[in-house]
Amino acid sequence: MTDVVTADAAEAESATGDDERLSFQGVFQKLFIRPEIGAVLGATAIWTFFWAVSIPFGTAGGASNILDVSATLGIMAVAVAMLMIGGEFDLSSGAATGALGIVTLLLVRDVTGTAGGLGLHLLIALPLSFIVALALGWLNGTMVERTGLPSFIVTLATFFVLRGMKLGFAKLIVDQIQVGKMDDLKGENKGYEFFQKVFAYEWQRNDHQWALRDALYTGLVIVGLSLVVIAVYELHFKRKAQHNPIGMIMFVAGAALGVASVAILHLTDDTAGNWFGAIVGLAAMLIGFLGLGVWRYEMRGDRGTLKMPSDAVRSVGIGIVLIVLGVISAIVLDSDSNEQVLPLTTEQGLRAILFVGLSALGFVSLMVGVHQAGRVSRMSASAFTVGTAVIGLLMAFFVQSESESEKFRNEAFSIILVVSALALTWAIANYFFQNRGSSDIHIEHLGTRIAIAGLLIFLIGMLIRLLFTVDAEIEAGIAPAKYSVRILWFVAFTIACSWVLASTKFGSWVFAVGGNKQASRQVGVPAARTKTQLFMLVSVAAWLVGTLLAFRINTLQANTGNGLEFEYIIAAVVGGTMLTGGYGSTIGASIGAVIMAMSVLGIPNSNWNSDWRFVFLGAILLLAVIGNNFIKTKAENLR
Amino acid sequence: MSDALLELDNIGKFYGNIIALQGVTTEVNAGEVTCVLGDNGAGKSTFIKILAGVHKHDEGTFKLEGQGVNFDSPREALDVGIAAVYQDLAMVPLMSVWRNFFLGAEPTKGRWPIQWVEKRKAKEIAKEEMAKMGIDIRDTEQTVGTLSGGERQSVAIARAVYFGAKVLILDEPTSALGVKQSGVVLRYIVEAAKRGLGVIFITHNPAHAYPVGDRFLILNRGQSMGNFAKEEISQQELTSLMAGGAELEALQHELEQATTGNGS
Repeated sequence: MTDVVTADAAEAESATGDDERLSFQGVFQKLFIRPEIGAVLGATAIWTFFWAVSIPFGTAGGASNILDVSATLGIMAVAVAMLMIGGEFDLSSGAATGALGIVTLLLVRDVTGTAGGLGLHLLIALPLSFIVALALGWLNGTMVERTGLPSFIVTLATFFVLRGMKLGFAKLIVDQIQVGKMDDLKGENKGYEFFQKVFAYEWQRNDHQWALRDALYTGLVIVGLSLVVIAVYELHFKRKAQHNPIGMIMFVAGAALGVASVAILHLTDDTAGNWFGAIVGLAAMLIGFLGLGVWRYEMRGDRGTLKMPSDAVRSVGIGIVLIVLGVISAIVLDSDSNEQVLPLTTEQGLRAILFVGLSALGFVSLMVGVHQAGRVSRMSASAFTVGTAVIGLLMAFFVQSESESEKFRNEAFSIILVVSALALTWAIANYFFQNRGSSDIHIEHLGTRIAIAGLLIFLIGMLIRLLFTVDAEIEAGIAPAKYSVRILWFVAFTIACSWVLASTKFGSWVFAVGGNKQASRQVGVPAARTKTQLFMLVSVAAWLVGTLLAFRINTLQANTGNGLEFEYIIAAVVGGTMLTGGYGSTIGASIGAVIMAMSVLGIPNSNWNSDWRFVFLGAILLLAVIGNNFIKTKAENLR
Repeated sequence: MSDALLELDNIGKFYGNIIALQGVTTEVNAGEVTCVLGDNGAGKSTFIKILAGVHKHDEGTFKLEGQGVNFDSPREALDVGIAAVYQDLAMVPLMSVWRNFFLGAEPTKGRWPIQWVEKRKAKEIAKEEMAKMGIDIRDTEQTVGTLSGGERQSVAIARAVYFGAKVLILDEPTSALGVKQSGVVLRYIVEAAKRGLGVIFITHNPAHAYPVGDRFLILNRGQSMGNFAKEEISQQELTSLMAGGAELEALQHELEQATTGNGS
């Protein structure tokens, strides 16, 4: 359903006679050419995979673990991504995290050794180590700029120097290769109590009950998602001059029906109730969104005729066969058996993998079919989308009736149901209403704002569910989950960097010096200064991570962080940042970090030996680079 | 003569004992196009570099609005309104049109450290300025890498014009373009001149120079072969002067002989 826009755009263009070289980009096309889209899709796929095969995934505890591991990795990945967009690498970034943590520890601890620590108050020590961080970054940047050597070599040297200094100074000052302990400061009046809260506070989920949680969560998630969908409609369809009040009434009625359907689905868990709720929900969507269309958008003139291109039929055929195979394997294999069938998995696990994997591939193939049909005519695209959506609906009910596990019966069921229903409505709306033929800065601003508001509301809903618990869960003996404040640091750092990159002068210059240093110099961008500042940003991130580590694990080994620089680079690359510079995304890098954290945790959670995680990482890196490259080429062709 | 925007009298430049440029005299008036013609190695690049402040001239006088100048850096030249659009265009292909347009001079709001680029304003201005050049960029979010050669050229020209250039130096803007695209760029050149700029158009193609130029300076091996107003010279004469007249005739003769020789 995503790609039907292409044909439409072409039709619209030829009709209106606008600039033929510059066709209107549909909403999905615009999304598709974002650098971080590969990471988002990858994260969803990997999460779904582990969610299906492992038990702790998908619980609040699982989420807190993933976020916890991604936080330190992600802060660095975001900074490294910015540096890479600016066209440079920093191989000393991993070692710097440990080094700066150790600097802080040596400044605050009064240790017995030949030299001894300084025993400073944290309020003095933290700014001091921050200055050391700035100096380190400045040194890296200046050396790269002055020598004109590749940053790869210069920072490789810094890496070895740091590595040696960590060992050397640790032995000299503390007489051992580990420096500790931060929590010895407790009660020493050196600010430990305060800074411990700032850097290592933990939120215990089971201590925070909120009876309203489920109502709020459900409401916010649905409102948020609806806003996103409305934004998509608003961005995609052509507004008409005269609004139609009947449409508005339909839209409101649809919203009311939606509330009713949620209530029905919430109150029942048997098949009949689910069917009823689902049908009401579908009706709500159809009435609501088609009402929105009647209210605000123009009707389509030419819809084309129904044609069946052979390539589309073949893709759909392959899709259906794959889905049927998935369904058969779900029926044949025993969902209760924990017997080892293959070296890596139990029968139950194999069933989940086969079912999820085959049906996911099947749906991808169906979507390819829709795309191919979309090249022929509007009518065909809509017909094929409707077909796919119906298969999706059937699938939802198959999951509901067949699955033994509750998470499949509830969560997977509702997600598949909602997505299929949305696709169905989309196909019908797209059949009736005309899409926009040209770009309009005002519509785009409004649509983007609605979409962002929707996403925020959705995320707040999810957050409420993750942070709070209800009596019923505690009675059921849910495993405690705790969230460290480092997650907040991660989120804040990502948002700050993304803002800087997208909305400031400096951000523009980062892209410019990475994309074409010579050119940016010619127009007056201070290229050397920009790059040096980027190196400093990376070392400040390393300072933050070192501090977070020092407060979390109290004792830092001299080799802390060594070798992690490549993981940061992998996370950035998985997030869509180009190795050659000038292109990339900090949001993508943070999602890349989450993907890596999922692999760290998902593999042991699925009862596989965690040694396999490196195989997994390698595969992800390769897939990500291929995928992102594909997206980039596609993006350049589309524009 | 005295009201000329830019006046060059007997300009010369030496690299050690190599004479890169000698005895070049011409003028650039506001609203006119001065074409600088010459084959490869004729000294065109040196000429631009002197004008744009990359190099200093060693002899002669260089006057801007009647004032003698000798720039220390390209920045200085830019500050007094001499903007050069080089062949590589100083653009970042992976960045959007509006970001390229404002690169290095982004309009900002707020105070440091909370200072942001006024994206909306920037996009609107970029679109508007491009429209003034007669090119409709519908989506300024497009990356420059996806534009055609002529469109890129127009972005570079529009950028120079917007940032207050009085004299616009275009270094071989048509050399890498096809016939149709070259026509488009030539139109921008005329457009820029109409808006009151003095344009210096450097090219090795007399067929491109003649229709748009008001004044022609012909260089050959670092020497000026003449400085003509349009009415003083025809395209034919221009072409033969540029290629060193006699040489071309000899070549033509040789080629004719070769073809008849093959035919018999």
